Amino acid sequence: MSDFTFRAGDGTHRHAVRRGPPTLVDGVPQTVRALGDGRFVVDVDGRPVRVLAVAHGDTVHLQLDGRAGLVERVDPTRAGAGGAGAGGDATAPMPGVVVSWLAQPGDPVEAGTPLLVIESMKLQVTIESPRAGTLERLPFAAGQTFQRGAVLAHLRTDEPTA
Amino acid sequence: MTIRKLFIANRAEIASRIVRTARRLGIATVVPWHARDRHGPALAEADATVELHGEPPVSAWLDGPALIAAAREAGCDAIHPGYGFLSENAGFARAVADAGLVFVGPPAKAIELMGDKITARRFAQRCGVPVTPSADEADDPAGFAGRARAIGFPLLVKGAAGGGGKGMQIVRDAAALPQAIATARAESERYFGDGRLLAERFVERPRHIEIQVFGDALGNVVHLGERECSIQRRFQKLVEETPAPTLSPELRERICAAAVTLAREAGYVNAGTVECIVAPDGAFYFLEMNTRLQVEHPVTEMVTGLDLVEWQLRIADGEPLPLAQHEVRWHGAAIECRILAEDADAGFVPDTGEVRLLNAPQGPGVRFDCGVTPGARVTADFDSMLAKLVVHGADRALAISRMRQALSELAMLGVTVNADYLSRVIGHPAFAEGATDTGFLERHRDALRPRAWTDAERRALVAVAARVVRTPHADTPAEPWASMGAWRN
Repeated sequence: MSDFTFRAGDGTHRHAVRRGPPTLVDGVPQTVRALGDGRFVVDVDGRPVRVLAVAHGDTVHLQLDGRAGLVERVDPTRAGAGGAGAGGDATAPMPGVVVSWLAQPGDPVEAGTPLLVIESMKLQVTIESPRAGTLERLPFAAGQTFQRGAVLAHLRTDEPTA
Repeated sequence: MTIRKLFIANRAEIASRIVRTARRLGIATVVPWHARDRHGPALAEADATVELHGEPPVSAWLDGPALIAAAREAGCDAIHPGYGFLSENAGFARAVADAGLVFVGPPAKAIELMGDKITARRFAQRCGVPVTPSADEADDPAGFAGRARAIGFPLLVKGAAGGGGKGMQIVRDAAALPQAIATARAESERYFGDGRLLAERFVERPRHIEIQVFGDALGNVVHLGERECSIQRRFQKLVEETPAPTLSPELRERICAAAVTLAREAGYVNAGTVECIVAPDGAFYFLEMNTRLQVEHPVTEMVTGLDLVEWQLRIADGEPLPLAQHEVRWHGAAIECRILAEDADAGFVPDTGEVRLLNAPQGPGVRFDCGVTPGARVTADFDSMLAKLVVHGADRALAISRMRQALSELAMLGVTVNADYLSRVIGHPAFAEGATDTGFLERHRDALRPRAWTDAERRALVAVAARVVRTPHADTPAEPWASMGAWRN
């Protein structure tokens, strides 16, 4: 059993996957037929639908009926006990470059604690912690560029989240 | 054809498109690249490539002397500027000619006359082509604000040297005028190095109609019909089509005749586009002339069956126009969508990334002019337009249905593109009716939002993702194999 998050314009959802056959997503069996070259046919409400998919590390870019979405595997070694999913991490509002770190991995943080400064479209923005916990990891060093939606700071909550 | 080797002072899709025609005509091509831009399809298609230097990279494509030197060193006898960059720079056109090379475009004099909005609009007026009431800063800059106010509101304030919507402001009342002038001036200075402004009456619910014209060195001028480019965001075109869906034949004839008059009076040679706005009551006004090939020229090619780059090269080579006006024919309808690296649903913010999976739409009547190859890095260094999707159909309804199908097939996974947004635009009932004006996207903003994903869709996509994602145990090759690199038996 592993967890994945689905991210698109309408928000982020978390799904549990049990590899099959058949593969179960949130307990519902899925039919996936691979056609090669990143092409698949899936079954959506009894209808065969074409899907394009390409993986890059733990991130998978997908497209269904012309609509694109992003699925990320939730790393069990990072997301485990504290229950910190990608939904609670600090993500990049737009592509840019990291200017500086304002906190260090291991630091305890409150909601609103400044974590790092990024620059996007000639604008410097301070990324704050979305909640209280421990700053676990800052994946991008100063000077490194990132894409929109990239996780800029991994947080671990100290108490289990609801 | 005396041109034997052509230097293309451009990049991405338009470089590739020019290479295709040149090759067909037996002309060798040279395409430049930059250390931070080495993924365009043209680089594989051209006969030779040369490296440009500059920081930021875009400056390399704006360095006229370096481009001309590269062209001469490569043994080229002509330069095609494409669109953007130096394509409408009279100084560049003159320097190319002075270097003994053929500039594939109008003479520098024509670029000077028509490239400046103030002189172009005065010239149009002298030719009897209607223009909107306006005030400019060419003379009496001190009284500009007062004269602008006297035109009446709403007003459009823009840079005299501008283009692409940069520095353009709609002003609805006198109180907002000083701020609009300051903003427009700052943007015009920043983008064009020229802060002179122009204010004109803003026509409500305008349609953007433009006429493709061609002139030759013998003084012949023809038009190849109109394009409607009213679907715009931030004054930038997103969807273009021909014929214009609701233009009456009489009005079309009058606008085309005005465009031909303007080009003839200007002694215009090579490809040009006369841009107009058409008011709901059918009144039309000259806006500006683009003295180059337009981004949206393929829709004209689709309905006329002509190759506009071929015409450009033949005329630059001294040949007469390939066809007389009465020999030009138009068949069916064509639509172009600009595929941009941006999140249209999040306020059209540009996106960057790497094209990891590219799926080019195919099928009858479908043309995909693409500027990226798989693995291409999309950065903020260049314009966000990655490709143009163009379709042709026997009528507009067929073109629309082909476009929707093609948009759903198009994929550039790894960077957010606007294909699905365009599909919603093309699929909107108001678009089908031809009820298009420049306020279309703003007016229908709510209807153009994406629907939410269903649970079943998300589960299906997650199932596919689980299948393709790298799993630490299953897919990683054992250490000895991995260390051998790209080993095959």
